[in-house]
Amino acid sequence: MDLFLQFLINGLVIGAFYALSALGLTLILGFMKVVNFAHGELYMLGGVIGWWVTSRLGLDFFSGLLVVAVAMGAFGWLVDRFLIERIRHEGEEAGILLTIGLSVFIINTALILVGSTPLKVAGPVAATPLFLGSAVVTENRILAVAVCAVLMAATHLVINRTRLGRAMRATFQDPMAAQLAGIGVANIYACTFAIGTIIAAAAGMLLSSIYSVQVSMGGLVTLKAFIVVILGGMGSFAGAILGGLLLGVVEALWGGYVSTGWVDVIGFSIVILTLLFRPYGLFSKRAERA
Amino acid sequence: MLQVLERRSLLAFMALAAVLPLVFHDPYLLHVGIMVLIFAALASSLNLIVGYIGEFSLGHTVFFGMGAYVAALMSTRLGLPIWILLPLAGVVATLIGAAIGGITLRLRGPFFVIVTLCFAEILRLVATNWVDLTNGPMGLAGIPKPFDQDKLAYYYLCWAVLGASVYLCYRFVHSSTGRAAVTVRENRYIAQSVGIRPFTYAMIAFVLGAFIAGIAGSLYAYYISFVGPEVFNFSFMVSMILMVLIGGKGTLLGPLLGSLVVIFLEESLRGAQELRLSLFGVIVMLIVLFMPRGIVGYVHRCIQDKSRPPAAPAALKDGKLQAGA
Repeated sequence: MDLFLQFLINGLVIGAFYALSALGLTLILGFMKVVNFAHGELYMLGGVIGWWVTSRLGLDFFSGLLVVAVAMGAFGWLVDRFLIERIRHEGEEAGILLTIGLSVFIINTALILVGSTPLKVAGPVAATPLFLGSAVVTENRILAVAVCAVLMAATHLVINRTRLGRAMRATFQDPMAAQLAGIGVANIYACTFAIGTIIAAAAGMLLSSIYSVQVSMGGLVTLKAFIVVILGGMGSFAGAILGGLLLGVVEALWGGYVSTGWVDVIGFSIVILTLLFRPYGLFSKRAERA
Repeated sequence: MLQVLERRSLLAFMALAAVLPLVFHDPYLLHVGIMVLIFAALASSLNLIVGYIGEFSLGHTVFFGMGAYVAALMSTRLGLPIWILLPLAGVVATLIGAAIGGITLRLRGPFFVIVTLCFAEILRLVATNWVDLTNGPMGLAGIPKPFDQDKLAYYYLCWAVLGASVYLCYRFVHSSTGRAAVTVRENRYIAQSVGIRPFTYAMIAFVLGAFIAGIAGSLYAYYISFVGPEVFNFSFMVSMILMVLIGGKGTLLGPLLGSLVVIFLEESLRGAQELRLSLFGVIVMLIVLFMPRGIVGYVHRCIQDKSRPPAAPAALKDGKLQAGA
């Protein structure tokens, strides 16, 4: 029972990051209908740039996070305007191939530039342990999860409360009507991709302040994000968060009680079962299936 | 006319491949030739799924890897000869293909892509973690080389396998089954309305693809004489996709040309692994943006443009006018 609480906390911490990266993907996949296979690489770039600006340029953690957000936001905007824009109306397959090409390019260029060593971002607070009964959680983890929660709330507010968010929702309901109403649709698509990129990159930088970031980690992150989005339901905000936490906890419990080598099999089995028995996701209200 | 041209160019490719080692006696070229033949068979099998079902499978390494592991396990543990193991690898891959196809072909679009990728990842994890059977990340070494290490004889074995695979694909594509599959790819609803069940035809192509990929996998295992969990790696998948795309998906000649181009690219950039893959990424993006139908598709269009003058004004064909919604 003592260990159970510990596994639960570990699972919730990692689950918060699954949720955050899936949130970015659900914007791109659920709204824009771009099957983004480079999502994990955007996450990895966030961690690597975060490491670079904090350790090489000597910025503190939060200004580093700001730099990462601005840089990756610009990157995402450019990727959409110059690459994805051209294949917007050519179906999913073109997008899948394009993002696979992009991810292969990003991984291997990053390998040439920074190598394959794990990089650790210095966190804003020390890893002081806090005791909750019999379980231990470090202060930097609590802070990282708190930043995660703030980012999720901010995304929610941007989509539901701002002018940009209103234009986004209009565009994804009916791009033609939105365009007729005077919305710059191309810009809205690019902004959505940029927001998804910022969320993924921020998740990457936050997680590498707890663990570390490695150039080759992106593929697994992409798959986990897809798993969570499918589990939670396409385009579902709450589904991404609940699905992420659920996946994190299940993996932590499985790793703790059964076997650590097989942890990643859980996610893949979950996604296969979900698609077979509940293809609209566990938490989706609308029956939306691409 | 295009079908005749296609048949002739396929025959020319195979004839050229048969003559080449008799003209050049360079062992390095022979090695490259063997790799081209194995990967051409593999790419042709992937093309059946990508080009003729029209669904994008990222799990083709499953069949390739299973074929390789079957050959490696059975030859090192049981000492079975290559003549039994090549067909056996194909049969095992076919059975797995039937099981995975039965699950995944009910899904479409991104879901199909992701689930096939999940299967590849699961098998990679199994190959890494089931140490008793697969020797884990260390892999299985010491697969006996057939023909007393005679590379030329092995080249002709690969040539025969590729010839048989291309023949199988050709017969499939130009049979009524293949036409039905193409109908499903082009318009699912019209196909259903004339009584074609999409699932059945997709399944036939998927299983045939798995069979060929399994045999290609066992050929690869015998040639390299080492099999590790890397056979399930995504980088293999990227090479395969690139071969099909560069050559032209949905054409029989495309994968053969594609594997020729990709293997030569890989060999010429052998020293710089990251640079090579980085370049591959750029190539994939460029092809998607500027040459979505590959080399063969490009040639087809040139031929068609020559043989008949363009009738419709270009604006009507422009996708943007129709796809505004």
